[in-house]
Amino acid sequence: MATVSIPVGGLARPAEAPRLRVSDLLRWTVDHKIIGIQYMVTSLFFFVIGGALAMMIRAELLTPTLDVMSSGTEYNRLFSMHGTIMIFLWVIPMLMGGFGNYILPLQLGAKDMAFPWLNAFAFWLIPPAGILMLMGWFAGQAEAGWTSYPPLSTLYSSDGQTMWAMSLHLLGISSILGAINFLVTIKNMRPEGMGYFKMPLFCWTILANSIIVVMATPFLAGALTLLILDRVAGTGFFNPAQGGDVLLWQNVFWFYSHPAVYIMVLPGMGILSEVLSIHSRKPIFGYKMVALSSLAIALVGFTVWAHHMFTSLNPELRVPFMITSMIIAVPTGIKIFSWLATIWRGKIHFHAAMLFALSFLSLFVIGGINGVMLGALPFDIHVHDTYFVVSHLHFVLFGGSVFAIYAGIYHWFPKVTGKMLDERWGKVHWALTYFGFLGTFLPQVVLGILGMPRRVAVYDPSLQWLNVVSSISAFVLGISFFFLLYNFIISIRSGKNAGPNPWRALTLEWATSSPPPPHNFNGDPVPFDDPYGYGTQASVDYLNAQLGIAPGIPHLAADVHPASKASAHASGD
Amino acid sequence: MAQRDLLEANLSREELLALRNKRTGLSIFQLSWILVFVCLVVVNLQLRSNYPSWPPAGVEPLSIFPPTLATVLLIVSAVLARQSMQAVNTGNISTFRSLWKAVLILGAVFVAIIAYEWIIIPSSGQYGTLFRVMTAYHAVHALAIGIYMWQIYRTHITPNVTTNTEIGDWWLFEAGVKLWYFVVVAWILFYVVLYWI
Repeated sequence: MATVSIPVGGLARPAEAPRLRVSDLLRWTVDHKIIGIQYMVTSLFFFVIGGALAMMIRAELLTPTLDVMSSGTEYNRLFSMHGTIMIFLWVIPMLMGGFGNYILPLQLGAKDMAFPWLNAFAFWLIPPAGILMLMGWFAGQAEAGWTSYPPLSTLYSSDGQTMWAMSLHLLGISSILGAINFLVTIKNMRPEGMGYFKMPLFCWTILANSIIVVMATPFLAGALTLLILDRVAGTGFFNPAQGGDVLLWQNVFWFYSHPAVYIMVLPGMGILSEVLSIHSRKPIFGYKMVALSSLAIALVGFTVWAHHMFTSLNPELRVPFMITSMIIAVPTGIKIFSWLATIWRGKIHFHAAMLFALSFLSLFVIGGINGVMLGALPFDIHVHDTYFVVSHLHFVLFGGSVFAIYAGIYHWFPKVTGKMLDERWGKVHWALTYFGFLGTFLPQVVLGILGMPRRVAVYDPSLQWLNVVSSISAFVLGISFFFLLYNFIISIRSGKNAGPNPWRALTLEWATSSPPPPHNFNGDPVPFDDPYGYGTQASVDYLNAQLGIAPGIPHLAADVHPASKASAHASGD
Repeated sequence: MAQRDLLEANLSREELLALRNKRTGLSIFQLSWILVFVCLVVVNLQLRSNYPSWPPAGVEPLSIFPPTLATVLLIVSAVLARQSMQAVNTGNISTFRSLWKAVLILGAVFVAIIAYEWIIIPSSGQYGTLFRVMTAYHAVHALAIGIYMWQIYRTHITPNVTTNTEIGDWWLFEAGVKLWYFVVVAWILFYVVLYWI
């Protein structure tokens, strides 16, 4: 039972809400909120580019022959850039840089990040890195996939591959600097009274994520350095003819990139914890386990990399890596079951944010089970390098990360802009995205089991109808994004004013105006004792105090869960 | 009370938090960045595992004496760097000057010895390539941090500075010493892998 004094400190109500101008996005600033928006806008730009490439891939696969592309090499370049852009320039910067920068300091009641200048520097590495990667087009685009396996990436590709590696180097440095900033902010800048186990779960996932970034990304830096040397300085680290080893790249790359899969999904899990609890007015079930499971995912994530190399791995090492790959499903399962228990018998409000969060649950479970299937050695060898892997990856990274991003956008858009997103258009966006997604990627599960290899533009004609279903659904999925863009425009122009706390949430980002003023709060904000303590009279009093309403009066009946009303009153709350 | 504690006692709440943030941030950065060196060690170990012997047959191993001397000098420089901070903490500016200069000189000798090794090692083959990449990568860090230490010494310890309160931003020196420790730890890792295993 939460027992707190009623807080008022922190609620900033400036006479005039700060207005964000487009020119603000183009200038150097150390305000974490503007940097967060800069990350979001930049990554959305790259999402559009990556999405357009995906549409071209699916257009090519409408028929079993090569028609949109002029050659297989061109197709290689297409999916290489699609994967790289989506992972390194969309999902990671959006979740870590965008949501992390905007939300985390607010949730901690801080005025800014620990190192504001470094924060800006980390962001401004992203646009040149993105431009460098796109400029590779003029030098012969990277064509070795987002995994960039030698010898294709060293001996048989053009200079665009070098630019790809240099671009990733910049993005890696940006990630490391950002993660250091998050770790220091979380360690040193929590407000008085907010121990680690009173932090919002989004902060926990950023904490776990940052640990992964600072521990894993240096390996990517090392591998990329050697790749660049092989390409430009004539060394042969990955060339057996010079005494090198192609598997060396796979080992080091996956030591980074498998944890990077969790880098892409952990903040999404944090968003989910926020959205599910707030929009079902229920405390998080098993808060500590959900928090610690993020760290467990981070830790176990370092022990599974070789499952990407089952077909080339020393046979004696296969079973240990199969076991660790399955173990990582345990902390993920803890989260899934905790979320289900959280919404169980809750007062669920089917806002667009909640619909996307619930969709995450359904899709991530499918992706997770596919992952466990792939973790099983005999099955993995059967479907290795087939569309089953493509489907699994997209169920986890689109069904997981992107749906979480959408949930986060609908949830925090009112805080960022001061305006509510239109719910009607939000639901249209959700429906097109959800069913478009299922139509795109469920057929790919079957295609994979039937043996269609990935990364090919020409396939067996008997598989065409499944590919047609997948492609048409993908076009629906592509179109769905424009409903979000349209929603942005109409909501910013004429959306309903949000007020400081439209969802009546208990975490600190809602205890200030929307959008928050420079330095976020007036004085030191007082966090509520339990960030997810919904359904108690104490939480109602806390929320009412933000509105200047005296304690003891339930402002909204929906705030108080029937089961907890009696206990809240019995304890005098 | 030591000078460092005195200085910190006079800091405002915000300044103290900023200092705490810098210390935590640098520690995390060092922990993260040392892993690039660990990555190169992993690369070395995996590549050499493909050969029946290391160095490969026909390649003469380097003499152990010059790198061992360089390593000893580098460790001594770390000890002197620590003592220089203790000297300034107790207000002994002249000792601080001498020790800081000694650290820089020992660092320069270390880099010169490794540069000599770099020149004499056979240039072709994985043994020589790995050696050159690893030592060059380390030397870049040693040089960059050494130049940083020289620069803050040159700009902050001018001849008219006679007391430790005149030094200015204490953190710059603390960061320099901690970064030098990083150079030493990273080298010991490489030294063992390149010369002993």
